[in-house]
Amino acid sequence: MDFSQTAERISLKFSQKGQSVDTKKIEAKLRRLIEEFGVQPAEAERSVTNELAKEFNLPGIGTGGGGAGKPGEREIRSIADVTPGEWVTIEGKVVAILSPVSPSIAQSGIIADTTGAIRFVVWAKANAPEMRQDAWYRIESAVIDEFKGVANLKIHSGTSVKPIVEDRALIPSILKVGELKPGIGSVRVKVVQEWETTHERMLQSGIVGDESGTVKFVIWKEPSKERLKVGAVYTIFYALVDEFNARLSLNLSTATYMQDEGDITVSGGDSDVRGAVVHIAPGSGLIKRCPVEGCNRALSRQNYCPVHEIQPGFVYDLRIKGWLDDGEKTYNILLQREVVESLTGINLNAAKELAENNPLGMDEVFLRMRDTILGRYIICRGREIDNRLLVRTCERVKMDTGEHTALLNRAGGAP
Amino acid sequence: MSNGGTTAQGRKEGGFEREPARRVFAGELRECRHQFREGDDEKSPTFVLLPTGERSNRVFLVGTLTEKQRRGEQNIFYRGRVVDPTGTFFVMAGSYQPEAMQQLAKIETPAFVGVVGKPNLYQTPDGAYLVSVRVESVTIVDRETRDLWVLDTARATLDRIDAMAQGLTPDAARVKEHYPALDPAMFRKMVYEALAQIKI
Repeated sequence: MDFSQTAERISLKFSQKGQSVDTKKIEAKLRRLIEEFGVQPAEAERSVTNELAKEFNLPGIGTGGGGAGKPGEREIRSIADVTPGEWVTIEGKVVAILSPVSPSIAQSGIIADTTGAIRFVVWAKANAPEMRQDAWYRIESAVIDEFKGVANLKIHSGTSVKPIVEDRALIPSILKVGELKPGIGSVRVKVVQEWETTHERMLQSGIVGDESGTVKFVIWKEPSKERLKVGAVYTIFYALVDEFNARLSLNLSTATYMQDEGDITVSGGDSDVRGAVVHIAPGSGLIKRCPVEGCNRALSRQNYCPVHEIQPGFVYDLRIKGWLDDGEKTYNILLQREVVESLTGINLNAAKELAENNPLGMDEVFLRMRDTILGRYIICRGREIDNRLLVRTCERVKMDTGEHTALLNRAGGAP
Repeated sequence: MSNGGTTAQGRKEGGFEREPARRVFAGELRECRHQFREGDDEKSPTFVLLPTGERSNRVFLVGTLTEKQRRGEQNIFYRGRVVDPTGTFFVMAGSYQPEAMQQLAKIETPAFVGVVGKPNLYQTPDGAYLVSVRVESVTIVDRETRDLWVLDTARATLDRIDAMAQGLTPDAARVKEHYPALDPAMFRKMVYEALAQIKI
């Protein structure tokens, strides 16, 4: 773990008061607390700050445990720098208001300053004035906490919220999709795909992406929200970046988005994996699929579909399931018919014929395909989800004399 | 036994992750002297410690099957020798790997083969060490695949040597303990010689 940033931040607090503290020393204290004693990072930061504040007799600096209104908390903090557990004062612009999800919440939304943006929640008990979208506020003694791994600004009864007159231009920094983290994010993306909505309150869902990758998005039905056009490029400000099962998604409920000129070459989240096929799983080769509209499940040998039972009117298909291994990591690969045909040189008709004219039937197709690609080097390109690779295209690796020479030099180059 | 995917191992949250097949030359694999198990579970994977500093639960190797023998009376198993530019791999497939055993039985020597399997370290009564690879699958491949494997394995071996020189490998301490006298330069030389045997 790297403590230098936190140490820098603590050291800055003291240097502002004319005391210099060795960041190495701070780092050591932090490391000891976090690594040896398992203290939460935010708690460790507070603890070290307090310890030093005591040492230098600077009571204003330490962020005391809960006592509101200490002088130090009046210092305006940058939204980008706040960490869970802190009591803070910030000045920012409300860039989004969300409909409250619970009666105990009066308002929620996003507040931003020039450094970043954070979600906020106003508790009904806080008796805070209602905040308006696009207005600036000074919020004193609010608490930063963490909800589902995302920092949140809580406005409670001890918090003061005052409108302020501000006319600073606020331009959110646009991130690449690949750089998004849970919280708030602004991106410039192309709409790659839209999906059938799975919920009546959902307006639209699908995939957006840029050169660095792709991410799922969702828009919930609200009067002001419009659908995105597939293929168009949009700039999206202040979307909620949620994390579920280690995958990110963009919730545009809070976001402002506008269509943009130009085009983006979306990487498609495509990965290239070069490796050896180390296993071909049963269920590869020639298979039968359920003919019921929209089902398409693979049938058992007895033509049994897990949902639609016996289906004698099955449809033949080709697929290969297996493991592709680059020596460092193993990918579960799934090859669809076109890819199987191009890789094995056996097309669907040839496979059917093989199965019909052979005592082993469909097993013969499996064995032939196994013997053609198992233990071979291939390059697969496709979408990677965890360690699964949904392969779009696939080809055999060819010998590269340049690589041979480079390796010879590498092996012989060092003493 | 190993179905190449059913042994539960929850090192990563969200489930099982298949152990990658390391690329290693015969000349390195035969120098293995340490085998260990990660975790106390019966199904925890065992690893041999490669002298270049990486643990290996599975290997992928390509070479020439020069010899195979059927052994055993009740428990039939096959033994084979697979030769690469640096030495010989000893492979075996028994009744727990019926498919691999049948594949091995079918292949006529000599032939280029690609083998996926699990390395195991044995010590003979006279104290000698032997690394044998229990085959999960074996197929006949072509010469180009063999050449690609030599390149791939050369790259992987050099990567391991470099990572160990920089102390980047998580098993560096294990290597120091179990292979105190080993000189990585010897493996670099082995890689060079293996590459030099490839004619393009």
